[in-house]
Amino acid sequence: MSAGGESSRERILARVARAAASRGRLSHPGALATPAADPVAGFVKCFTSSGGEVVKADRGRPANEWLTDFLQALEPGVVGVAVGPEVPAGLRPRLPDVAAAHAGAGISVAWGAVSESGSLILPSTGTRAVQLLPPVHVVWVPEGRVFARMEDALRELLDGLPAAVGLHSGPSKSADIGRTVVTGVHGPGRCMVVFI
Amino acid sequence: MVRDYAARSREIIRDEPGVREAVTGATIAFDEKRRKGYAEVDADAWRRWAEGVKNHTLTHLDHYLTEAEARLQANGAQVHWAADAAEAREIVIGLATRRAVASVVKGKSMVTEEIDLNPALEEAGIEVIETDLGEYVLQLLEEPPSHILGPALHKSLRQVQDLFAERLNTAPDGDPDTLARAAREVLRNAFIDADMGITGANFLVAETGTVALIENEGNIRLTTSLPRVHVAVVGIEKLLPRMTDLAGFLQLTARAATGQPIGCFVSLIQGPAAEPGDDGPEEVHVVLVDNGRTDVLAHEHAWEALRCVRCGACLNACPVYRQTGGHAYGHVYSGPIGSVLDPGLLGLHDAMPLPFASSLCGACEDACPVRIPIPELLLEWRKEAQDEGLTPWKERAALAGLASVATRPGLYRLAGRIGSRLGARGAGRALPMLGEWARDRALPKPSPRTFRQLWRKGIE
Ligand code: SF4
Repeated sequence: MSAGGESSRERILARVARAAASRGRLSHPGALATPAADPVAGFVKCFTSSGGEVVKADRGRPANEWLTDFLQALEPGVVGVAVGPEVPAGLRPRLPDVAAAHAGAGISVAWGAVSESGSLILPSTGTRAVQLLPPVHVVWVPEGRVFARMEDALRELLDGLPAAVGLHSGPSKSADIGRTVVTGVHGPGRCMVVFI
Repeated sequence: MVRDYAARSREIIRDEPGVREAVTGATIAFDEKRRKGYAEVDADAWRRWAEGVKNHTLTHLDHYLTEAEARLQANGAQVHWAADAAEAREIVIGLATRRAVASVVKGKSMVTEEIDLNPALEEAGIEVIETDLGEYVLQLLEEPPSHILGPALHKSLRQVQDLFAERLNTAPDGDPDTLARAAREVLRNAFIDADMGITGANFLVAETGTVALIENEGNIRLTTSLPRVHVAVVGIEKLLPRMTDLAGFLQLTARAATGQPIGCFVSLIQGPAAEPGDDGPEEVHVVLVDNGRTDVLAHEHAWEALRCVRCGACLNACPVYRQTGGHAYGHVYSGPIGSVLDPGLLGLHDAMPLPFASSLCGACEDACPVRIPIPELLLEWRKEAQDEGLTPWKERAALAGLASVATRPGLYRLAGRIGSRLGARGAGRALPMLGEWARDRALPKPSPRTFRQLWRKGIE
């Protein structure tokens, strides 16, 4: 149902149609062919050059134990965590769960990642507060889910698109004050990827 | 208001030398990053593709607007249509009143500046907080943004230090990190308390009803996630047909704007939170705004300006903009794109003399990710101004002199030498921009373009 006056809607659409008809309708150029490189290596290069961090888990240990030690060893050490509902038990650190606004780190599992832009794809069902409020965001990324091109990732995402999707491609940044880059302005100041 | 362009430029250059320094430094840095960002990809092919997609979309806009509307409604979002700024304000304030909204957080948005939304919300008793760091600085100063991307890039560190020391009790010599932390604290509480988040949109994808927003700070992600109502105010030209088109535009826009492969955060919003585990807004509204855009679309030449993705690259590349910043232009859209868009949106009469605030050097067109032929469009507006008797001869002569100097290598260098001897004041008084231009050693090389031909077509 459209609010705001049916008349404005009709008027705008009629004017748009008139303009388009007088100009002739131009055709779509088709797909933009961007080159596809090795997905994981490309992702790491792009993501880290935007200030993101890629961390290697100690694969000899259970992932949750490794993550617990890793978070505690950060500076400052993480005490409480906020964990997305999509994170399976084996990937949840053994640290107390707290509200995202008070957590030292947020833990998510990405739906996938994009190599050419160094982006993590985070659906809103992972709860947005976990992805945005803690100063550190640790994201588990399944290695086989790194798409070479954004186009491929978005095409696959079309099936069962959630209410919102966040693409995170590095830590929160601003150069609005004195043209000096500061991190962690609003979103996480550190964004860390661990491949699984 | 736009009519005072020359006077305002002179004032800014004379009274606020810091502005020029800050703007020139920032725009040159942005422009260099853009060049680097383009060099990493086949930028020419990307730009031609983007031009084609936008042309296709604009000539099928009726189709894509109705498709987007239907998708958004199917996703549970509500769609509103606003013929002009007044109707757009009315819709947003109506939504806020209905949901008893006491405070609003905003993400940086040119269209909400265009429709003057903040004063209207405040008049309705609603607190409005800008959350982009640069916008927040400007809101405290009660100034409008001066650049699409870096709204406060005309402000020096010293000015922000003084402002925050007074308003947020930071140390008088606080470094940018400290200042940003202080602002973050205030704004974090604002996000948590706000009932409504208001944003613009970089793109609206018809196929999925996706509102796409690009940013670096994360404030837009928060604005669209934490409050229970999200309102996106979207110009009708923002449509893209498919998600696969969006994939290219997200990357090209970021490269043009800052040279990044993509913004640190992109929000893709289809509708209100629906599934368990999603803590997003209960309501999502999309307000589709015309406000002069259908006039521009119907214009024989100016319609091409509607391809604009508001990346700011033409501002950064423009030697005129670099001298004065955005405020001299007197309208929300400044720089080269403002000079071609404002006459279409405001009417040529009200936008005079902006089409003359250029030397047609062509740097803007070369930087533009959607290949808008800005110099040609400027000439078309000049011609129309001429036909309607809107150009006083003095202005024409001065601007013709300026342009001809800027496009002829010998004269240009001579003017540089004379300008630097005369100093800004002497030269500037006679020919506001020429004096300043001549002093600038960082100008791009004079244009090899067929300026004379174009000029004759436009003026003689
Ligand atoms: S006209 Fe082109 S360069 Fe200028 S802001 Fe628009 S898209 Fe960017």
